[in-house]
Amino acid sequence: MRKYLTTLSLPLLLAGTLAASDRAFAAEQGITDTEIVIGDVEPLTGPPALLGVAASIGHKIAIAEANNAGGINGRKIKYVLEDDGYVTARTIQGVKKVIEVDKAFAMLGISGSGQSIAVMPVLEKAGIPTVIDVAPVKFLWEPPRKNVFVVGQSYEEGIIHLVTYLAEKNPGKKWGLITQDDDYGITVRDGFDTVVKAKKLNVVYSGNYKKGQRDFSSDMLQLKDSGAEVFLAGGIIAENIAMMKELEKLNVKPVTGIFWPGRIEPVLKLMGPAGNGIYAVDYVEPFASAAGKAFLEKAKPLVSEAEFKGINRYTMTGYAAAKVLIAAIARCGKEPTWACTISELEKTKSVETGVMAPVSFGPGVRFSNQKLQIMQSDFPTLSFKPVN
Amino acid sequence: MQYLVQLLISGLAIGAIYGLIAMGFALIYKSTGLVNFAQGEMTMIVAYIAWSISTSVDGNPFIVAIGAIIAAVALGLVVERVVMRPMLGEPVFATVMVTIGLAVILRSSINFIWDAYPHDLDIGFGRGILRAGGIGIRTGQIAVIATLLALLAAIWAFFRYSKFGVAMRAVAADDRTALLMGISAPRVHAAAWAASSVIAGIAGVFFAISYDLSPAMFQLGLKAFPATILGGLDAVLGSGVGGLLIGITENLAGGYLGSGMKEVAGFLMIIVVLMVRPFGIFGERDIERV
Repeated sequence: MRKYLTTLSLPLLLAGTLAASDRAFAAEQGITDTEIVIGDVEPLTGPPALLGVAASIGHKIAIAEANNAGGINGRKIKYVLEDDGYVTARTIQGVKKVIEVDKAFAMLGISGSGQSIAVMPVLEKAGIPTVIDVAPVKFLWEPPRKNVFVVGQSYEEGIIHLVTYLAEKNPGKKWGLITQDDDYGITVRDGFDTVVKAKKLNVVYSGNYKKGQRDFSSDMLQLKDSGAEVFLAGGIIAENIAMMKELEKLNVKPVTGIFWPGRIEPVLKLMGPAGNGIYAVDYVEPFASAAGKAFLEKAKPLVSEAEFKGINRYTMTGYAAAKVLIAAIARCGKEPTWACTISELEKTKSVETGVMAPVSFGPGVRFSNQKLQIMQSDFPTLSFKPVN
Repeated sequence: MQYLVQLLISGLAIGAIYGLIAMGFALIYKSTGLVNFAQGEMTMIVAYIAWSISTSVDGNPFIVAIGAIIAAVALGLVVERVVMRPMLGEPVFATVMVTIGLAVILRSSINFIWDAYPHDLDIGFGRGILRAGGIGIRTGQIAVIATLLALLAAIWAFFRYSKFGVAMRAVAADDRTALLMGISAPRVHAAAWAASSVIAGIAGVFFAISYDLSPAMFQLGLKAFPATILGGLDAVLGSGVGGLLIGITENLAGGYLGSGMKEVAGFLMIIVVLMVRPFGIFGERDIERV
């Protein structure tokens, strides 16, 4: 009898152990019965905090919205945010910490373009579902990585769209361009050169400034001297402000285009009247639009007063990415896994976020390729308004 | 000709800002034998304090000026008393590293106390543009050039005629002998830090009026340091002149040789000058470099 019981209990014990271990394998990191952890690494200090803080506020809005609606299938989202100070080594360290110590289930962010590129091997090796929203550059989705998705539009496409628009609106005019001496500047210049070749634009001034330059007096004097009538200001924020002020001082006002990293409303106040009528390109809605106003209304009760003041276009990109990620995890039901979340992210089809065109991915498609729109600054209302 | 004159004027204006910060570097070095690598950050902090004051007093320029000067004096004294004085007698390398650490702390404090957004320091002055013969200059740029020239004269007179100025020179020359003569070196050091902070703060405020106020402003220190080396690390007046030279050289190079040469030209000039005069144009021969 004893032998019989032993013989019977052994397979039962084995089956029980296997079932328990199977369950342990199924429960991914970052998930408890009541909580699910989403990690993020952004520049929260130093000049790039302008984008990092704003993007994190976008993530917080989407997470607060989901938590207020009961969380993801009953689990509240816990948001773990690390500061990298825009230093690549710290980004890698931060991502490792969020994955290995905080045991994040999924990632949002991540910092700038260079930082995202540098951290890619860590993300790939970990296999954690990740949605990148801050700095979309081609390297992040070409070739496609299984677990990394990018919401946005490429810098190069953005510049091509803007320059094409300005070229068609100002046929036969003389062009001027100034770019920063880094990867950002090279991307801007590449996009510009594509349109120059295609449309045979007459470029009379082409400058290249060193990152960190604050005085653009000689550069803008050269631009004026060249007789440029259309100008692509390839600075980011402070640089574009300084350029426009110099042009005002020199009493010239070429048709000017700026790129989305500098398309934030406080810039217009700093440029003063010199910033009126500037063209910009972006894939998120301007705050002056109905969608922009609705987003602000939605955000107000979900963030602190200080955070509300920190909202800019990066808040919208962060919000959209977080919405897409949360929706994918939610579709996995009560026991979400990394494999299921990645699969559901891939199935993302026309997800409405309210702040940009619907977001879609697909089999082998890890880039949402957002629709672009041209907008123009309006100094009296310190806002950007769509022009088409 | 108009092109050249515009380049020269713009060069003088930005050079005056470099010159003021450079004078701050030299003032501390002359009195303490120390290079303060947090000079750009102190410039930025004072400008941010001035901006905070301006937003709460509706941009009243007199209140902003007085408030910013008081804040700059306090900042200089606190840094000297809390951070630098405990380092007295320690190796120069350790002391310099402390100033680098201080720079990082001050830089990070901007986001904690204020924010990462660019701001405009509007005190109802400095934004206007004067035009003559096709040349344009902002009133704030005229004011910063005038301020630098006035400070050069005042500091020259201070070191030459005032008792405290002579005491500072004595401490710089030989602090032990100065101590035997009854001069308090800590008092001299404190005064140097306070004065340096005020001068750098003036540069920061003028920069914020003419350009903008942002957490990237500390980089002005990196541009002003070569001006100090050019003028002479121990030459307060020479550093001011060095700033003007750097500003003009940068602008002429940028205007005639292209944007890429703008940043290079100033450093090229420094290399050439230092090869001929290793102690700077106005510096004294026997200084210890770090």
